[in-house]
Amino acid sequence: MEHNQKIRISDSTLRDGNHAVGHQLSAENIASYCKAADAAGVSIVEVGHGNGLGASSLQLGEARTPDHIALATARKNLSKSKLGIHVIPGFATIERDLKPALALGVDVVRVASHCSEADICERHISFSRSQGVEVWGCLMMSHMISPMLLLEQARKMESYGAEGVVFMDSSGHFIPADVQQRVETLVNGLSIAVGFHAHNNLGMAIANTVAAAEAGATLLDGCARGFGAGAGNAQLEVLVAVLERLGYSTGIDLYKILDAADLAEQTLMKEIPTIKSVSVVSGMAGVFSGFMKPVSRIAKEFDIDPRDVFFELGRRKIVAGQEDIILEVAKELAQRAKKGNQ
Amino acid sequence: MKLECQERTRHDCLRILDGRDKALDPLRQSELVVIGGTGFVGTWIAEMVAALNDGYQFGIKLSLISRSTDQFANRLPHLANRPDVSLIKSDVRQLGQFPANADWVIHAAANPDVRTHASNPLDTASVIVDGTMSVMRTAERLSRLQKLLYLSSGLVCGAQPVTVNGVAENAQGAHAPDACFIYPNAKRFAETLCSAARAQSRIPVLVARPFSFVGPYQSLDTPWAQTTFLSDALRGHPIRVLGDGQVVRSYLYGSDAAYWFLRILTAGQSGDVVNVGSPVGVTLQDLAIEVAKNFEPSPEILFNTAPRSAGRSAQLLPDTTHAQNEYGLSVFTPLAEAIKLTAQWHRMQSH
Repeated sequence: MEHNQKIRISDSTLRDGNHAVGHQLSAENIASYCKAADAAGVSIVEVGHGNGLGASSLQLGEARTPDHIALATARKNLSKSKLGIHVIPGFATIERDLKPALALGVDVVRVASHCSEADICERHISFSRSQGVEVWGCLMMSHMISPMLLLEQARKMESYGAEGVVFMDSSGHFIPADVQQRVETLVNGLSIAVGFHAHNNLGMAIANTVAAAEAGATLLDGCARGFGAGAGNAQLEVLVAVLERLGYSTGIDLYKILDAADLAEQTLMKEIPTIKSVSVVSGMAGVFSGFMKPVSRIAKEFDIDPRDVFFELGRRKIVAGQEDIILEVAKELAQRAKKGNQ
Repeated sequence: MKLECQERTRHDCLRILDGRDKALDPLRQSELVVIGGTGFVGTWIAEMVAALNDGYQFGIKLSLISRSTDQFANRLPHLANRPDVSLIKSDVRQLGQFPANADWVIHAAANPDVRTHASNPLDTASVIVDGTMSVMRTAERLSRLQKLLYLSSGLVCGAQPVTVNGVAENAQGAHAPDACFIYPNAKRFAETLCSAARAQSRIPVLVARPFSFVGPYQSLDTPWAQTTFLSDALRGHPIRVLGDGQVVRSYLYGSDAAYWFLRILTAGQSGDVVNVGSPVGVTLQDLAIEVAKNFEPSPEILFNTAPRSAGRSAQLLPDTTHAQNEYGLSVFTPLAEAIKLTAQWHRMQSH
């Protein structure tokens, strides 16, 4: 099979992977992986706190490496690859965070919001575009709205000046048919590139990402060894290999991306992401993969089943940034269990 | 604004008026009101009126009505402080203070920024629809009114069918009733209001449908192709083209457009609808090349990987046969010259 379509890979290892280690990636980690990804010919290397620029905080987790050091380090070690950042308005402000980041040489700004809240991205997208950097919009937790509503939100981002829109399966909830339907809707309704960011809660990350490519997406995210929040992301080196088999052009050297993945395993990870039972539940419940660690910890503290917590969070449609609710849910479930036992 | 920029825009107007001023004679010693008068179109009309008054002694009294007269006065004192120009701060939906002796009215009030359409679709529609209703009610009280020109949009007929070379005024298409098409659909309904006002109140109203423009006074932070290309190049960045660069658009220069509007206003028959734009198409790839020619070193041109949807029209051009045959209008400033003048103006303005 031969495709003419060129795929741009955005490597989220040093951003989404930061979730998996409590945002503790060091400058040395960043430098060595950037070198390896750059050598492999990865289009874009995304760097930063798991929740993006300016998100280091007590509530979301304090990053070991401050944004300015992470970005300066990455910039120094990327020559061919572009340097990307994830920006959630609210966590990142234009004056305090975005301007300094652009001054450090960021090439691609990915401005993200919850899937139904694209409006909050207007200023950040417009500002980034006006500064001459490439800017994409990202719609997180995209399983929570229909393809038609997703298109409405994506069109807003396009109107603000986004040059691509990536929809994110933040809780690893999708199966390939879901992804195909959304990509087709977006490709038909937008004039800009469409992208997809997978999580692997149901073991579908590669299949979903390939489905996205087959339906017309040209911006695909992946992480070395799947290093990312919860059950991890689409495993980058596997994705590159599969795309190569399918005849897509990514511009990535297979051996070198395999080397980069080996390096990532040796230097970045405490453990390789696996699909744990709670991850399956998180995917089924449609809850953000990054909640796995706090949910597991808090459930243990209250002696309740973390799977019940996930399903309750899913029922309440809780999204990233609402981590405080985990505690509230756990308390309620514990009280309910106590009453039931009396 | 810098003196050399003022001189440039004045020169642009005089260049267009040379040998064509007689066609605007009905404007002599009259009172013209432009509602929504501080945007791109209003500013160019003000420049053209200033050139007519100073260069040809037309004696036009011009009133510009807008919510943003303060910014206009700060930005363009050479227009705002003229004795023949009055600024009236007002929302189009509440036109309390309106020149009672207006002979001519141009209604151009609407926000063309697609970002506002996306974030505030209801407000976008309100300004267009409620605003047009308000203008029609006001026009009913104007005893001297000769004609009212409503500036609609070249988008009201929907996407250009792949089978035609340009969208004619009588095209039958329309956009889907989705929020993302609030602007063209509201404009379309506003045209209906104009028609209703003509039928019910005998208001002499005609419609111009603007397509795409280029020139000084266009904000470079708007996410349109030519403004983005210019902005990229002025910053010394590569020019980034969305998609494969084969989308076709056309651009009419600001001073050309101002002359077209005044000519249609004065010569048009009530009820007429006229496309305003350039019929000369250019691919975005060629547009990027044209922009790049004006910079040294020439910026790199990059294409992103967005595939174009099959069946989506890649072209939006006006059919301007009617404007040409009925009003003698044509493109006075070719695209290459328009881009050159615009790039020079922005460069002068920033230095």
